[in-house]
Amino acid sequence: MSYLTVFKMRLRMELQYRGAMIGGIFCQMFFGIVLVALYRALYAGKTQSVPIENIATYVWLQQAFFRMMFATDTELTDKIKSGDISYDLCRPVNMYAFYYARIAAQKLMGSVMRAVPMLTMAFLLPKGWGISLPVSPLGFALCVPAFVLGFLCVCALENISVAFTMKSLDPRGIAALLNLLMMIMSGNLLPLTLFPESWQKVITLFPYAQLLDAPIRLYTGEYVPADALRIYAVQAFWVVTLIWLGVVMWNANRKRMIVQGG
Amino acid sequence: MSYIEVNSLKKDFVVKKKREKGKLLREKETVNALKGVSFSVEKGELVGYIGPNGAGKSTTVKILSGILTPDGGEVKVGGIVPWKERKKHVKNIGVVFGQRSQLWWDVPIIDSYNLLKDIYRIPQKDYEERLKELTEALQLEPIMRTPLRLTSLGQRMRAELCGSLLHRPELLFLDEPTIGLDAVSKLSLREFLKWENREHGTTIMLTTHDMEDIEALCSRVMVLGHGKKLFDGKLSDLLERYDTVRNVHVKFSSEYPNLKLPEGVEWQKGEDGIVLSYKPSKLPTAKLLSILQDAGNISELMLQPENTDHMIAAMYKELDL
Repeated sequence: MSYLTVFKMRLRMELQYRGAMIGGIFCQMFFGIVLVALYRALYAGKTQSVPIENIATYVWLQQAFFRMMFATDTELTDKIKSGDISYDLCRPVNMYAFYYARIAAQKLMGSVMRAVPMLTMAFLLPKGWGISLPVSPLGFALCVPAFVLGFLCVCALENISVAFTMKSLDPRGIAALLNLLMMIMSGNLLPLTLFPESWQKVITLFPYAQLLDAPIRLYTGEYVPADALRIYAVQAFWVVTLIWLGVVMWNANRKRMIVQGG
Repeated sequence: MSYIEVNSLKKDFVVKKKREKGKLLREKETVNALKGVSFSVEKGELVGYIGPNGAGKSTTVKILSGILTPDGGEVKVGGIVPWKERKKHVKNIGVVFGQRSQLWWDVPIIDSYNLLKDIYRIPQKDYEERLKELTEALQLEPIMRTPLRLTSLGQRMRAELCGSLLHRPELLFLDEPTIGLDAVSKLSLREFLKWENREHGTTIMLTTHDMEDIEALCSRVMVLGHGKKLFDGKLSDLLERYDTVRNVHVKFSSEYPNLKLPEGVEWQKGEDGIVLSYKPSKLPTAKLLSILQDAGNISELMLQPENTDHMIAAMYKELDL
């Protein structure tokens, strides 16, 4: 299968950038420690609705999978800008699926390569500073499918921004907007569990909350196992909607596309 | 019915201009890149497609390869309308865009080929056979395991060509394949294209600005200008139709003689001697030579070979391109 091969190719390519990986790990470790220290200072012994262990876990999981969240495949958008996309259009493949596989590989490899060493280190930190064990084996088991659905969701989101780039020819505008939304609405900047109760009801329905917030809450026990099916349903809804939207955008692009020069 | 059938093909682009002072909206201008081009190509032909920059050559190639949807006209390649059945169509074609790259920049070339094998679903045995054949013909063995970014331009072009031919396409589009290549690379690339065309009967459509490419490869040439087809036929016929200027370098052994040159002949001082330019149609070469001989004391005389580039330039000028 060509989609699987492009997936594997992108995985291998990601391995070429080991320096970037090590740099990324240090950067994310630093962010994690600073953020946890910040929340500890804010808590300062007062009891809060969310225990500090859960916040620390939330922060570490967010930092570990940082690479998964943000658009980073510049090679893809460069192709669109330069017109090298012509070659991809001359292939007997479905363009949406072809790019989806590419994005998925880059996100998976990029984040897993960083997450494994980071989470190992975070487990070694003292309780309340590092990451805690999942609330229960069942909680962990339920968090895995939520993570997969969230992953499918984030790839679909990025493919939409790529499709948008075909229209605007410059990925920076849309990427800046989406990254800002991503930072706030996904819980990367401030854990969604700390938002006011009434806000959380709305914000957890958005696609961004499906990526990491939903699986993390299942992990820490903020969502009880009885919630799991409801969570999966919301996630699945977004996966289907975002993929559908992406496919529609790609098809529309094909009709009106111009490849300029040479 | 021919293999490629193109009938009054049209394509427009909208170009947005910078807003003028005092106007509310930007002005839009429609550029008619193709204004009704028709031609047909038989299987196994090697056709050159020339024209000045912006004539619509690449647009034609992009439509024929299913990337762009035209605004009018009919196209059939092997009975398929390229942009309507894109996936089915592109299985049978190979494309090389001289200024772009299809291989992956950071991974060894062979890995890019393996990806192409999966994309085109080439059976393993067939793939190995074809890869071996192309590796030999294009001398790719030494760079097979090198990442593309570490190869030279000439090596890269050969690697690109191999990538486009792995799935044994019936039709190959080459968009300026020799751009930026040195003489040796150009010659070997041409040899290879001739071989591919002869050995496998691959139909090749070549766009280029390099007239030597056309001279060496194409028996048939099409000229495009301002979105219209201006000529379709043999290269020699094309050149005959357009009168061009030729140059003679003359060196004198002693004093520079007082030459009485007939009308239409221009001269200028060269490095050592003079250069005369004349049009063979107005003044036969033999006549000019006899005039020079009468003037005496010529030590050296060199007739410059016909230069296709000059002829094409003259032709473009005459056609007001």
